Amino acid sequence: MKAARFDYRRPATVAEAVAALVEDGAAKPVAGGQSLGPMLNLRLARPSTLVDVAKIPGLRRVEERADGVLYGAAITHAEFEDGVVPDPTPGFLARIAHGIAYRAVRNRGTVGGSLVHADPAADWPTTLTALGARVALAGPSGTRELALEDFLLGAFSTALEDGEIVTGVFVPRCSAGARFGYRKSCRKVGEFAEAMCAVLADDVRGVHRLVIGATEGRHIVVTEAKGVLADPRLLDERLASAGLAADPSTLRLHRKVISQAIEALNSESLPA
Amino acid sequence: MIPITLEVNGRPIEARVEPRQHLADFLREEMLLTATHLGCEHGVCGACTVLIDGAPARSCIAFPAMLDGARITTVEGLADDAVAGELREAFMDEHGLQCGFCTPGMLVMARDIVLRRPQADDDVIRHELAGNLCRCTGYVGIIRAIRKVAAGREAAVVTRGTVLTPPSYASPLSLPLSPAGRTPVDPPASAIALPAELSPDATPDDEPLHNPVELGESFEVPAPRATVWALFQSPEQVIACLPGARLTAPSDGRSLAAEMVVKLGPMQAAFGGTGRIVADPASWSGVIDGRGVDSRSATQLRARLAYRLDEAGEAPREATRVTVEVAYVMQGPLAQMSRGAIARDLAARLTQSFAANLAAHLKGEAPVAANASLDAGALAWSVVKGWLARLFGRG
Ligand SMILES: Cc1cc2nc3c(=O)[nH]c(=O)nc-3n(C[C@H](O)[C@H](O)[C@H](O)COP(=O)(O)OP(=O)(O)OC[C@H]3O[C@@H](n4cnc5c(N)ncnc54)[C@H](O)[C@@H]3O)c2cc1C
Ligand code: FES
Ligand code: FES
Repeated sequence: MKAARFDYRRPATVAEAVAALVEDGAAKPVAGGQSLGPMLNLRLARPSTLVDVAKIPGLRRVEERADGVLYGAAITHAEFEDGVVPDPTPGFLARIAHGIAYRAVRNRGTVGGSLVHADPAADWPTTLTALGARVALAGPSGTRELALEDFLLGAFSTALEDGEIVTGVFVPRCSAGARFGYRKSCRKVGEFAEAMCAVLADDVRGVHRLVIGATEGRHIVVTEAKGVLADPRLLDERLASAGLAADPSTLRLHRKVISQAIEALNSESLPA
Repeated sequence: MIPITLEVNGRPIEARVEPRQHLADFLREEMLLTATHLGCEHGVCGACTVLIDGAPARSCIAFPAMLDGARITTVEGLADDAVAGELREAFMDEHGLQCGFCTPGMLVMARDIVLRRPQADDDVIRHELAGNLCRCTGYVGIIRAIRKVAAGREAAVVTRGTVLTPPSYASPLSLPLSPAGRTPVDPPASAIALPAELSPDATPDDEPLHNPVELGESFEVPAPRATVWALFQSPEQVIACLPGARLTAPSDGRSLAAEMVVKLGPMQAAFGGTGRIVADPASWSGVIDGRGVDSRSATQLRARLAYRLDEAGEAPREATRVTVEVAYVMQGPLAQMSRGAIARDLAARLTQSFAANLAAHLKGEAPVAANASLDAGALAWSVVKGWLARLFGRG
């Protein structure tokens, strides 16, 4: 199908983008268009105006700091995959990016777009939450920062306020010996996952986080995960309260993917 | 409408686009580059994969309005690309295609895979190719073909941002001849130079035609230049020379309202619209331009006819060389159905029968295809007759 009619604006700055969104409440930001494009064509989304944020310099910036890297929201999956941006982890980000969709989608899709789309089965929301990332927001009442788990409120829903855009995402620096385990179960490469789990074990920093994605709502985030890493059965209750235990096969799939992600901490921890 | 500039297969293009028009439709309908196929139209099947700034992307979920300044390469633009050439051969050798629907997307993606992942084995290729669906081959032949080409490559190339060599040949059937706003690569010797105030760009109510199909015809008619000029100043008589066309209201000599019936096999369109006439007696040249719409199919047509009269022959057998240049842009369902060769051919024949009718009219004969709508049969007949008329008119 073809998209319904919409107007198009390409503001030059973050402030202009925010102003354009405030001016027209039915306007939506667009970055890579890799989630919005299909929704437009299927007429599932019918914004009055698209406000293009993909080329705003502030959203294309990458800032390396001592404690991590702040990525502009419009950095593409392919740029992570190709390692053209610095990585504060031992190679985790390129590996995650490589597993998103297909190269033709990765060339245009952006990290900010993926976080705002907030599909529980998408790769960045789950993995960046596990890495303890924070999103930077700019809106009519200024800028603010939120931990990713506070930003992602549920399936396709975020803490983004009217007129607000994501300007960047900050990924904390891991120690060199940090280990990361990530598994997702997809029917086919590039399809959205039916179960997914990401685990970070950074003993030097004392950080152990486990995040379960592909849920029906909010991600399951375990911030002090040492215990569940040793005994994943401790997660059963959280799976049950997230509604993932009703169907035995679904539960089995989630459990399997969780234990594989934890096992992968040992087999894949070292940068390739 | 948003003004954009793009480079498509190495050619600079200026266009005004509707924001909701996606890149695949733009390429297929405005540029007549129909190798890019549409399957799912929501990013899943990969049939529409093209290169944007050197890197593969889905053209069904990319929008030209958002691509200002980008370089687009379709599979047509890979005609002279060495890697694509190797892949085409490998696809043939390994039975990498059957119906061919997925093939343009497969080739664009395959080229990217062998460049980024030289020496790729079957697992890597299957992973990288997962976003391109094929209903026919079962993939085995496609994967063998890609493996064969990848095996011969050494260093990995990052394709993002790379610039491709444009093809040396661009088919005039599939690509409008000259990008709007630029001089054609090869200006025809007969190009009609109009005084600035007559150039269609100078008149306020009309933007220039973007990426039009352009045709030229030059012919001699056995009449003095002043006589031919007088005819060109009479909308009734000019319209009478256009097969299938008639005035729908009397003309004041500066504007006209007309209708034109065009038949193309089972398709029939009746374009109704208005036009504007400007003439410059000093240079014996003028422009008639107009726009119309076929109410049944909602196909839109914008066209421009520029003419110039030069003296030819000597008294008492005075003659006039008429140079006509027609440029048109058709958008909508009919353009989709009759794109490329057919539409061009039709326009070429229209121009020819216009010339033939004009010659007949000037000799006081009935137009050879008077108001008969323009279908293939009538056309052939009109062309033959026009040719005969011209032959004997001179003898
Ligand atoms: C065939 C296919 C397969 C896919 N498979 C996967 C997969 O396996 N895993 C995966 O993770 N993803 C997958 N995706 C989604 C892909 O990763 C998208 O690129 C991503 O989800 C959206 O990024 P985008 O830049 O294209 O955002 P857009 O589509 O431009 O926007 C998405 C949403 O975010 C909003 N938005 C965008 N940028 C901002 C901003 N800076 N501030 C505020 N709001 C913003 C938009 O308004 C919109 O609501 C797939 C997509 C396709 C088409
Ligand atoms: S038509 Fe674009 S991916 Fe299917
Ligand atoms: S050859 Fe027919 S779809 Fe691939």
